Amino acid sequence: MGILCSHVRPEEKAIFRALTARGVDFDRLDEEKLFLYFHANGLAQKYSVIWSRVISHTRALYLLSVLNGWGMRTVNDYLTALTCGDKVLTTQALARHGLPTPRTAVAFGVEAALEAIEEIGYPVVLKPAVGSWGRLLSRVNDRETAEAVLAHKVALGGPGHSVFYIQEYVPKPGRDIRVLVVGDEVVYAIYRRSAHWITNTARGAEPALCPLTPDIVALALAAARAVGGGILAVDLLEDADGRLLVSEVNHTPEFHGAMRVVDVDIAGKMADYVIQLAAEKCLRPEGHEGAQRIIEIEPSCPSCPSWMKSSHRRSLC
Amino acid sequence: MRIGILCSRVRVEEKWLFQALQERGAQPEWIQDEAIVFGLPTVLEQYDGILIRSLSHSRALYASQLLTAGGIPTVNAPDVIATCGDKLITSLALVRHGVPTPSVRVAFSPEAALAAMEELGYPVVLKPLNGSWGRLQAKINDRDAAEAILEHKQTLGGYTHSIFYIQEYVPKPGRDIRSFVVGGETVAAIYRTSSHWITNTARGAQASNCPITPEVDRISRAAAEAVGGGVVAVDILEAPDGRLLVSEVNHTPEFRNSVAPTGVDIPGRIADYVLEVAMKSER
Repeated sequence: MGILCSHVRPEEKAIFRALTARGVDFDRLDEEKLFLYFHANGLAQKYSVIWSRVISHTRALYLLSVLNGWGMRTVNDYLTALTCGDKVLTTQALARHGLPTPRTAVAFGVEAALEAIEEIGYPVVLKPAVGSWGRLLSRVNDRETAEAVLAHKVALGGPGHSVFYIQEYVPKPGRDIRVLVVGDEVVYAIYRRSAHWITNTARGAEPALCPLTPDIVALALAAARAVGGGILAVDLLEDADGRLLVSEVNHTPEFHGAMRVVDVDIAGKMADYVIQLAAEKCLRPEGHEGAQRIIEIEPSCPSCPSWMKSSHRRSLC
Repeated sequence: MRIGILCSRVRVEEKWLFQALQERGAQPEWIQDEAIVFGLPTVLEQYDGILIRSLSHSRALYASQLLTAGGIPTVNAPDVIATCGDKLITSLALVRHGVPTPSVRVAFSPEAALAAMEELGYPVVLKPLNGSWGRLQAKINDRDAAEAILEHKQTLGGYTHSIFYIQEYVPKPGRDIRSFVVGGETVAAIYRTSSHWITNTARGAQASNCPITPEVDRISRAAAEAVGGGVVAVDILEAPDGRLLVSEVNHTPEFRNSVAPTGVDIPGRIADYVLEVAMKSER
């Protein structure tokens, strides 16, 4: 097994411990020191699975696309990372699967964005399509703020910041719910409590154990499936009526906060999943022939690469 | 008199300035700021004076410094451009000269900026140090807006966007006053009326004549003198208690919308001043 990461955080330390305890032969691959020849699948000869713990979304995406392109199994796979790393694509996947999310619009021009904001009604939340840890989230309470935030995005940000992701503000009860899904299993749920409306632990929110209700389990599993499955953290909001809404899905979840309050071997659960995946018969074990067989089994789909797992294909198409 | 007009593009203002200079028997020439290569210093002996009309503040500032060092007088002078091009330095000059201005705080970190805003009380106005036409001016009505805008500036903007210039919000009566001061004289003034709190004509504000009352004249001349004189436009706010406050001073004013309502030949007055400056320093 190869573990891609350049920074070893408490999460990666726990993962290394879990893998060692399970007798897994693994290498840490620092993506900063790595280069990949496109025409030679060097890593594919050496590893049966690559687990990405890369912090940078851009790096993760490119790495996974190359590895998956060689037919390698990765956790998570490229399309899942692509979908989760971009809120426009995440919300799109959730909506396509009929899952409840806050009312959300996307706009590309300032005037259109203002129109959408006023139609949704203040307060609204503006989020960058790509980004994590609650960075650059804006709660917009009036038109003057809307104009100012949009102008700053357009003038100071790159082209990505001129894609306006506009979401209804859900008055949360001082917390949101983060659910960790590993494969087909919900491992835990925690509340993230904060006096601030941004409830990321990176922004100082406090984790607390959240009981796993059937509703939470069902919605988290459905959301994870909608984005392609794997090891995922699903963020749920409770609206004023107590209804659960999916806000985001994260493809490289941090869990040092949860480690403090959850009595589960989180890294172990993740490790078991990746080990099992590696042990499963490879989709393309011996190169071309295997791939052909898969294509025969699965109905061909122009938008899914041939190496995609069938379960992922169904959910993404 | 050969007068160079340095600018990137010849707009309405520059056309009118050309005409005004020609009518006064001078020979104006366009110096394209993107075409010229500057020496250190830049000696353009064929000109008696150069009117700086570059839109870019950096270009205007460096060109005026290069040319002045080469012995050619520029309008405006480098110090005026340096002062007016940076709102912080402008405010400092105004305060030093006792010109009434809205309260201003400057902070170098979002935390300090938040503290300053909460001390001043919402709403406040956040402005970039450089920039014109009301661009990126943000009226901050509450802490949510403050946090959002500060983070966007710090994360997305260059380093000068992390110098936070925080101005007391003055509830204007739906307009502000822009006066034109040329060579120490208030030559014209307009009201800029808008339903938006940003009252730049570039943002759709309507221009109408503003009588040059003794108060408007006094504060306009004081502001111009504070930044070093020359040709400037002074933005004046009318506070609810009737006091006049100077909010900004512009070193390359646009005046296409101000000639008709005031009936004042602003380009003519500027041309007179430029020729006077060129004459004085004739080599």
